[in-house]
Amino acid sequence: MPSANTWTGWRALKEHPWLAALVIFLPPLSALLFIAIFASGTPHHLPVGVVDLDHTAESRLLIRKLDAHPSLDMRHPFASATEGADALHRGEIYALLIIPSDFGKELRRSTSPKTTAFYNSQYLLAGKFISSALMQTSMNFSAEVGVALRLGQGYSLPEAISAAAPVQPQITALYNAGMSYALFLVTSITPAVWQILIVASTLLALCWRLERAPLSSRFNERVGEILELLLPIALILWLQGILFLVFYFVFLGWSPEDNVIWIVFAMALKVLAIQSVGTLILAIVGNKISAFSLSSAYLAPAFAFMGMTFPRGDMNSLAQFWGNLMPSTHFMELQVAVADHGAPLLTFLPSLGWLAVFSLLLPLAIYRLPKQLEVNLKERISL
Amino acid sequence: MSDKTSFWLTWLSELEKIFKDKEVLLVVFGGLIFYALLYPLPYKESVPGQQAIAVVDYDRTHLARQLIRMADATPQVRVAARPTSFAEAETLLASGEVHGLLVIPQFFERDVYLGQPTHLSFAGDASYFLIYGNVVEGLLTAAVTLTVQTQVISSLMKGENPALIPGQVMPMQMKTIPVFNPTSGYISYVVPAVFVLILHQTLLIAAGSLTIKDRARRKLGLQYSSLVLTLPMRLINFVIIYLLFAMIYFGFFFQLYGIPHAANPIELLAFSMLFLFTTTLFAIWLGYLLPRPELVIVVVLVTSLPIVFTGGFVWPVESLPTWIDIISYAFPAKAGIQGFLSMNQMAAPLSSIWREISLLIGLCFFYGGWLVFRVLADQRSFSKTT
Repeated sequence: MPSANTWTGWRALKEHPWLAALVIFLPPLSALLFIAIFASGTPHHLPVGVVDLDHTAESRLLIRKLDAHPSLDMRHPFASATEGADALHRGEIYALLIIPSDFGKELRRSTSPKTTAFYNSQYLLAGKFISSALMQTSMNFSAEVGVALRLGQGYSLPEAISAAAPVQPQITALYNAGMSYALFLVTSITPAVWQILIVASTLLALCWRLERAPLSSRFNERVGEILELLLPIALILWLQGILFLVFYFVFLGWSPEDNVIWIVFAMALKVLAIQSVGTLILAIVGNKISAFSLSSAYLAPAFAFMGMTFPRGDMNSLAQFWGNLMPSTHFMELQVAVADHGAPLLTFLPSLGWLAVFSLLLPLAIYRLPKQLEVNLKERISL
Repeated sequence: MSDKTSFWLTWLSELEKIFKDKEVLLVVFGGLIFYALLYPLPYKESVPGQQAIAVVDYDRTHLARQLIRMADATPQVRVAARPTSFAEAETLLASGEVHGLLVIPQFFERDVYLGQPTHLSFAGDASYFLIYGNVVEGLLTAAVTLTVQTQVISSLMKGENPALIPGQVMPMQMKTIPVFNPTSGYISYVVPAVFVLILHQTLLIAAGSLTIKDRARRKLGLQYSSLVLTLPMRLINFVIIYLLFAMIYFGFFFQLYGIPHAANPIELLAFSMLFLFTTTLFAIWLGYLLPRPELVIVVVLVTSLPIVFTGGFVWPVESLPTWIDIISYAFPAKAGIQGFLSMNQMAAPLSSIWREISLLIGLCFFYGGWLVFRVLADQRSFSKTT
């Protein structure tokens, strides 16, 4: 192989500040940005409006109990349901609790008064969070009141306790004991962002190369030229992937079940997979801007198709098929299997296989790449 | 040349720039339709279906079987496996065959009827939060229903006053009712906000890259028309084209996907105009900041997910660190998403989203003012050199 090729990935990183930004600075910065966004772990102090039509010690006690829940901020009283509803429409509060008149009286008479909370399910995450916090806290309140009622009816204390709550559910959140949104979302978003950075940097590097010197017409030399360009960038991007794992570990208390070596290995395959599809897209369209546009159409929605937020099992077959076309989908399946479930190799072997298959496209892509890209000064201010 | 003809010529040449640029056409006409079909695709089912759970039954009594049937009957879970040991259940969870677990302890039935406290263990796969929420909701519903039944039965057997039983079983009730998205559907949750983002991002690419190409031609001396006339024309053209797409998005596609749209059409049109006007100004501003058209796409790609997660529709803005909350308002998308959601989904009148409106107007002044300075400075240096 001739050693004349000076257009390596290292040189591209030195001469192309945008490429250097995408490969060197943006991966850690974007991971840290998302860690900062979800730093609170779970939503805290979500504003909830209260219409207390009862104004008794019992209704105030219920409000105080609810306010003590870390997710709820009940200090938004409204005089009437209409005023409260207006605030709900304006988005000032995420939910509106209505305590009926006679709440206290009915509670003392043991006739099971009914409170109603309307929550904003447009903001689904916040809404569901509030709904379950309200349910859970009112069930506890209910159980306490139940004990007090029974004591008044002549039960002994242990009898009263077990009669008020005969079956006590113990709920365990497997694989994410603290139910931390930070852990859940950061470990899913970062691989999606990383994928975008990989495809964008691949296209920038290829365009940089093809605008400066023509590729060799002989396939073998061409492969060498492209690999010398892409592999140094792949190496740095792969190290960034490992840095993400360090971030998860340090900032999010990530504790993988199984050996992270599999994840690290899959990261290498993922970088090569995305570089391959990026190269293929440029090879097919043969035009810089169209290649960027198509890559963004293809990979920008990747997060939605990964199945972390909305389960893949509940998507229709077209959505599942589209998800399969993206390296991130297979990578996430592997990450969940290895880091969360501690699953055996057989479970995540298909994901590894999928990731490896994308790289088989690279020779074809290199073969089809245009020899050179023309520099059109009518379309750019600088080189 | 009269002012009137130069006015029309500039307008025509601006339109031509859009309609003769294949890349811009691809993004605007191809991209907007493609994204409108692609983005909602994962959420077509809208509400996640029954999640598979495993039940380990150490009790094997009538009451235990009743509980299992009740769990199976909830819309959130289905009993997919009945492993005989806990270890077996763990393997099923690890391989992802089931996403939840219910363990019924030995002597469950006996303890319940003797009035001794007993524990039911639920576990859900918290690797997937939506699945976890569903599993827990389904199992809790089944457990609470069973508890209420057994409490009523044992109270009646003890011969207690039936009038007091409701209060004994459930001293108070809390009914939570979802509003604005009554089915809690995922499609109505994600799509209205993402549609605003798609309009925003494609507009940035189209108007931003067009501006860069125009600057390049001016630099080579291939384009002379006055910027004072050209830029407002470009602004108007993009606002008009995108208004059309906003109508297709918030009208046709919302209808197609069964998404509620409660806004008053005139008010929605007014807010759309303001949003698109601000976004186009931002796009042109980006076009003056960046040297090459593909870099606009890079910026759009890199900022998309941060906008989604700081936009307030997924993660509540109250839970964002203040500095991130403030910085993210630099993108017109954030105020846009919040305004459109309030109007379209939450039926808020225009008067109640004054905050979003003033934010957008503020951004107009910021980006517009910057552009005016920039253009005037360019023209001064241009007249000096010639």
